[in-house]
Amino acid sequence: MKRALFSLVVVLVAVVAIAAAPADNAKLTFVYWGSVNEDVAMKDAFKAFEAANPGITVEPLYIQGDISGTEYAAKLRAMAQTNTLPDLGYFRPDQFGEFASAGFMMDLTDLVQKENLTRDYLPQVWLKVNNRVFGAYTAAECQMMFYNKDVLKKAGVPMPPADYAKGWSWDQFVKYCSQITTDVSGKHPGDSGFNANRITTYGVSYQLWHAMLTPPLWSGGGGIVSADGKKFLMDSPESVDVIQKIADLINKYKVMPFTNPSSTSQAGLPTPPVMLANGQLGFYITGQWELLDIAKMGFPMGIGALPIIKKPAQMYISGASVIFKSTKFPREAWLLHKWMMTPDKTLNLYTSGLWMPTKASWYNDAADLNKWLQNPVHPPEFRTAVLASMKIADPIPEVRVKNYTQIVNECVNPQLDRVWLGEISAQEAMKKAGDLVRQQNLLQGTW
Amino acid sequence: MNGRRRPRPVSRTLVYAALAGFSLFCVFPLLWQIRSSLMTAREIFTLPPSLLPAVPQWNNYLELFRQVPFGRYFLNTLLIVVVNICGALLSNTVVAYAFARIRFVGRSIMYGLCLATLMLPQTVTMIPLFIEWKLLHGINTYAPLTVLAFFGNAFYIFLLHQFFKTIPTEFDEAAFMDGLNHLQVIRTIIAPMCKPALAVVAIFTFLASWNDFMGPFLYINDQSKFTLSLGMKYLISGYSVFGQWQILMAASVLIVLPVALLFFFMQRYFIRGLTMGGLKG
Amino acid sequence: MNGKGTRSAPRRGGRSHFLRRYNNFWGWLLITPVVTGLTLWVAFPLGLSLVTSFTRWDLITRPIFIGFKNYIDMFTSDALFWQAVVVTVYYTAAGVSLQVVVALGTALLLNARVKGMKLFRTLFYIPSLVPVIVSSALWMWIYNPQFGLFNILLTWIGLSPQKWVFGTQTVIPSLILMSIWGIGNVIIVFLAGLQDIPRELMEAVEIDGGNAFHRFRAIILPLMSPIILYNVVIGIINGFQTFTQPYIMTNGGPANASLFYVLHLYRQAFMFSKMGYASAMAWFVFIATAVISVFIFRTSVRWVFYQGEHRS
Repeated sequence: MKRALFSLVVVLVAVVAIAAAPADNAKLTFVYWGSVNEDVAMKDAFKAFEAANPGITVEPLYIQGDISGTEYAAKLRAMAQTNTLPDLGYFRPDQFGEFASAGFMMDLTDLVQKENLTRDYLPQVWLKVNNRVFGAYTAAECQMMFYNKDVLKKAGVPMPPADYAKGWSWDQFVKYCSQITTDVSGKHPGDSGFNANRITTYGVSYQLWHAMLTPPLWSGGGGIVSADGKKFLMDSPESVDVIQKIADLINKYKVMPFTNPSSTSQAGLPTPPVMLANGQLGFYITGQWELLDIAKMGFPMGIGALPIIKKPAQMYISGASVIFKSTKFPREAWLLHKWMMTPDKTLNLYTSGLWMPTKASWYNDAADLNKWLQNPVHPPEFRTAVLASMKIADPIPEVRVKNYTQIVNECVNPQLDRVWLGEISAQEAMKKAGDLVRQQNLLQGTW
Repeated sequence: MNGRRRPRPVSRTLVYAALAGFSLFCVFPLLWQIRSSLMTAREIFTLPPSLLPAVPQWNNYLELFRQVPFGRYFLNTLLIVVVNICGALLSNTVVAYAFARIRFVGRSIMYGLCLATLMLPQTVTMIPLFIEWKLLHGINTYAPLTVLAFFGNAFYIFLLHQFFKTIPTEFDEAAFMDGLNHLQVIRTIIAPMCKPALAVVAIFTFLASWNDFMGPFLYINDQSKFTLSLGMKYLISGYSVFGQWQILMAASVLIVLPVALLFFFMQRYFIRGLTMGGLKG
Repeated sequence: MNGKGTRSAPRRGGRSHFLRRYNNFWGWLLITPVVTGLTLWVAFPLGLSLVTSFTRWDLITRPIFIGFKNYIDMFTSDALFWQAVVVTVYYTAAGVSLQVVVALGTALLLNARVKGMKLFRTLFYIPSLVPVIVSSALWMWIYNPQFGLFNILLTWIGLSPQKWVFGTQTVIPSLILMSIWGIGNVIIVFLAGLQDIPRELMEAVEIDGGNAFHRFRAIILPLMSPIILYNVVIGIINGFQTFTQPYIMTNGGPANASLFYVLHLYRQAFMFSKMGYASAMAWFVFIATAVISVFIFRTSVRWVFYQGEHRS
């Protein structure tokens, strides 16, 4: 009798123990955008994480992103509306403030402090709202100038300096662009009989969306909005001057092809990289992440210092990585979040040219530097022209400043479109933009 | 002197020239699309452009499948289309029969209401339908893209209604004498006689469903559930085919191909459907 | 609609009461799909949309009733609203007019006893088979300022290249041109209508000494007027709903020169979560469309001629 009772108790305890044991399988859904190559690299990183953390599975949610990010933004917004947000992943930087202060993101301040992570990472990396950390920059990205060595050689133009602090002056740059620009009969802009309708080689092409305008604006002493979100800077004389300089490249000096205006960047007419590869373009100024694709295009690629208007300038731009508050596995999500921030674990994304690291040692320590830079994708000029410029890189205000997207998309871009088309002067356009911003009371400071 | 004037050769030539010109305008872009889909990236961007590729790059089509799950998109679209065709054939036949053959109270009012929806702009129902489906948990499913087909479509009801009027009622009456009810009459008598009209409904449902963009765009989020149209949208604005217009053109050709084949074999039905629907309004 | 075709069962004296009930039952039973469809997918959404238009709602928090504020804001403080109206009306008015003229003209040419009529008809219709998303990509490519087909053709014959969908003045005409590319189905409808016109009428005009122009004015135009009317109204309804082309090709630009009404609406709803405001916009275009349609139908009495009428 006693023995039977004892066995029953043992069985009961065993059953209870098994039932109460925590499910050792946490499932994390990670949402992200990116190119096909990025998707592959991300999935590899997830697999490595799973291998190192048995008991956690990662479900990749690859949202076919679009270049301008508006689709991704809309999708995540819809997920927030229907309470179907994933556990963690990428977030559009310009939406970050709105959603973080609405309570959709997990507060990471204590975790970051406890593990002393601010020491290891670049200072700008941690994204804060009201002084609490709600996310981190996924990577470090910036602006870069590519060129086709053969095109420059053919035009008798010297290779641009590789030291970011010694970039060409704007006038020099325009002069060289004119030398490169030729029409069907070999004439240059300014020559008599130059046919602007039949240009075969262009000097330069600038991407024209807000982030790509920021470094030149800063270089000229202007900007889009002040970092404290209280002042609109595009109607300042310095900014107007920079915008006019770029517009003149298209309409006055004819050295830049007419590319789609800023508001249609989503329409994706990405012809400059191909023109560059085809020898139809000399210089291409765009985001550094294009290195991933351009390095594969099979032409003699060069990297040079950005032209300097008044002083050297560089921007820090990136998407945001966040953990959503609705996650059921905060502990595991934090582990994955940290994993994705560790360059060693996702090396592919850095060696391929897509990202630059957020960990400080990867900019200073020789061994770490070689890990991601010692490859054909990153020619030696990369270190001096691009990497070194990160010393002076400021983050663009889109994360901190309230209504940034509205200011840019509704007030600035439509006016800029007309400047690029040569319909109005930069002065007139930016004045109108400024009036609109003030009229709609969009300057509300920062998050 | 008879009433027929001899057609003047000059005006004849002009007529042919104008028609040929417009046909060229209609067809050339599509030929350009095919030609671009078979060129390399360099070739497509070379000036002056060549009319034909140096070497046809069939590889572009393979590359397309490598970069996006295009086959998946194809199957998804096919599934939606087939369900839509079933729904359209079932619901519209039954409803059109009732309006055409059964005298019931309120028939003309309901028929009028039904036809009135032809003038309803989709814009005004776009958002509330989205909200409705959100409440029904239909977002990111195929429900919003298929369920509506089972509730009838004013255009097809009108089409079938006109067609039913041309069928003499003796057949129905004979069937009733044999004790069949309306549904059985539809199934055994009417439907077999209406094969041409049903084919028109099926074809136009196929066309509308295959080409639909707004529906999948609003409701589908997961890439694994994309249809061809939605997949195409992301090819245009997305990262994966960045700058590779030749692959974009390849995708375009593949999307149009099934419809073009259908048209090639069923031309008669297309024409009939258009002319039956648009005439006496 | 009398005579054969509406009897549902043989008439038997005392059974007419049963017959009526039988028919009513079956009639309503068989149109259930349409009845439920109208309720679920038309009436309810219309009601929901109307109610929502009086609220401020982002789908996450609870809707807040704000009365007519959305409508007032729409008309008074949204500059882009009027821009969207202008753009859409411009495109629709110019587009539909051109479409009708070109389609009718082409149909007339096709009807002039040409050889290969069927082939031409097929070629004209093929663009209609292409989904909007594909034609948007295709035409973006054709309109590319550096490498597109059209600018290549222009420079080839010595004209200067255009900005097409990338210029503020040229974007709407470019989109209209693209819409003309796809009018094959309208041509077919018009052609069928023309072929229906009895030969005797045409010959009567010739015997009276009239030429093609008289034929057109006296016979063709009046007899085609119902079809033209129908296509004009449908064309206007569709024109007001243009979304995919501007969304894909220009994103409303440059400088909002192609900010179509539904694009603006879509942004309010899905980018800014202003469901109430977007619903107000939807109702405005609904009412506007209805008013315009009614207006056209009313004035059509003057110029539309239905067979069987006597006209002095």
